Amino acid sequence: MFIFFIIISIVISFSIFILKNKIATNILPIVFLILLIMLSGYAYMNINKTENYFFTYDSLGVLFTFVLTILSIATYYFSRSYLKNEDYSSRKVSVYYSALIMLITAIMTTYFSNNFAVLWVSIEATSLFVSMLIFFERTKVALEAAWKYLFVSSIGIAVAFIGILLMGIAVSNYGLTDLSFGTLSNVVKSMNTYWLKISVLFIVAGFSVKLSVFPLYAVAVDAKTIAPSPINAIMSTALVNVGFVAFFRTFAIISHTPILAWTQNVLFIIGLFSIFIASIQLTRVKRLKRAFAFSTMEHMGIISLGLAVGGIGYYAVILHIVLHSFVKAGLFYQINKIHSIFKSKWINDFSAYFKINPLAGLSLILGFISVLAIPPSGLFVSEFLIFKALFLSHQYIIAVVALILLTVIMVILSKIFLTILFGNVQENIKVDKINPLGNIIQLSFFGLVIYLGINPPPFFMDLINSSISILN
Amino acid sequence: MNFLFIIIYAITLIYFAYSERVKKFVWLLSVQGFVLFGMVFSSLKEIEIFDFIFILTETILVKSIIVPWFLNRVRKHNGLKRIHEPSIPVFYSVIIVILTLILSFVLSNNILNSQMHTQFFTVAFASVIFGFYFIINHKNIFSHLVGYLIIENGIFMISLAVGNTMPLLVNLAVLLDIVLGILVLGVFLNRVGNTFQSDEINQLTELKD
Repeated sequence: MFIFFIIISIVISFSIFILKNKIATNILPIVFLILLIMLSGYAYMNINKTENYFFTYDSLGVLFTFVLTILSIATYYFSRSYLKNEDYSSRKVSVYYSALIMLITAIMTTYFSNNFAVLWVSIEATSLFVSMLIFFERTKVALEAAWKYLFVSSIGIAVAFIGILLMGIAVSNYGLTDLSFGTLSNVVKSMNTYWLKISVLFIVAGFSVKLSVFPLYAVAVDAKTIAPSPINAIMSTALVNVGFVAFFRTFAIISHTPILAWTQNVLFIIGLFSIFIASIQLTRVKRLKRAFAFSTMEHMGIISLGLAVGGIGYYAVILHIVLHSFVKAGLFYQINKIHSIFKSKWINDFSAYFKINPLAGLSLILGFISVLAIPPSGLFVSEFLIFKALFLSHQYIIAVVALILLTVIMVILSKIFLTILFGNVQENIKVDKINPLGNIIQLSFFGLVIYLGINPPPFFMDLINSSISILN
Repeated sequence: MNFLFIIIYAITLIYFAYSERVKKFVWLLSVQGFVLFGMVFSSLKEIEIFDFIFILTETILVKSIIVPWFLNRVRKHNGLKRIHEPSIPVFYSVIIVILTLILSFVLSNNILNSQMHTQFFTVAFASVIFGFYFIINHKNIFSHLVGYLIIENGIFMISLAVGNTMPLLVNLAVLLDIVLGILVLGVFLNRVGNTFQSDEINQLTELKD
């Protein structure tokens, strides 16, 4: 089934690219979305089944696929209005959809790959397709962002590949050639810890470019500042989840080896540095998308802390990343509206949004509450659990430092949000006819985040518990 | 025989540090492709036809012919002849690459693992480290692409050293990813040249707030 999904996706993407007409760009993406929904259902029905040797429908993959499917449908809806508003040629529209479909396919392949080499190939593929989408607006800054993203991503992923090859030493020692996560989990226990540590460092440093955390965070932030808003919604969520999958799979392999404590310390450093850098950079941002890009970095820092601390932190991490996906996607869809109303990308140009567009303002308030993890946001529950785990494991200094930094971030983001929502009305703003239906998706996402945090349904909890069972 | 190829590869690294002409960089990458083929071919115990075709494709066809041909087109499109002002003078670069080779040699001799072909590590580490140095030292983004390819060649040798043979399908996918990455980077590089009227990294500063 999965290999057919990949083949059909490639055919659909290629057809859109070749045909370059409205019928193809209107119908074929919908066909792809139907296929995506079918695959999500199929994966859930066949959980833990391995297909075509390299792909397994495990709980984490299924959970992220559900998120990706929902986000893909929403992104398609907002992409249509984005492309219509900007009045792009049918050739450019075909390139957009073609690259978007391939990006979603590559992300899906990453979620389900059960082999380090296949995971690496899929992640490299995501870099290629997303760079095309970053460059979509063909501006000078888009070109700069696309070049830097692809180049640094390629370097980062090459570094991760060195780590994967070094981890392969353990496999070679047993006369095997299989780099599947299952095999690696069994054999790395006997590997020289010195080599294993080097291997983990390379993998974590390399894939940090995808998770948007220290050390290779910069290009991802730049790219998120420039990419079209609907693409940003995928980049800050599903693509970041790709980085998380790479971190999680590596951590799962390491979790039963003598270097677990050392790896946890590495993750603590990554997490704290990421939150620290995000808090410093947020004081200087002038573009709204950049502020949200650093907010993503902050949340990924929290996730690194949760993964490092373990215990209840594992559950909280998965909950946090799922909820963050919906919150950040909703906010990026909202940014699309803000940009189109104010005809600007700079924070200083935005004000009185609540007065100009009350429903969208309400949606932004909910997004604001959600992303800052203020109750009743589901992110409050996950962050609370992560900090609870930190205190329970006596990591007081890390917890206190992180809390101070989060307070700084909260103050800065509150200032930005409150200015946008309730600042003085600008006289030169001309508001086109506002479609209230355009806010339903964002409101649903923010509502979903509250619901999943307060009252997670049993199947959702089962998927999270099943995902983390490998670590305990 | 392997040692001969390793020595030739080390010489290409020194030559990279010594060269200032962009055309020479492309030529050296092509030579490295042939040397890598020699390394793989001489270390094979038994030859299976599909493996042989794949190795031939990866090293000779891709690394020695297609990629250099494409880079030459990019070079001509952007009118690149000589690199301008590397951050560190050539003399010091040559010393640095020699030190890197010595360090890599010492490190490789301290690896105690019967399953690993440590002789490849002697230049593999040096190639990866030198690739990074090459990127940092040059301001031209074409040279950055060359640096990335030097790193890729180093990683190719690490895979030989580790002796981890992945399934052919996965190997093909890895190769395809890398080739596509280089092609897309090349296309972006051309556009950077057209848009910014320069290939210097100093010009790419519009993203900052």
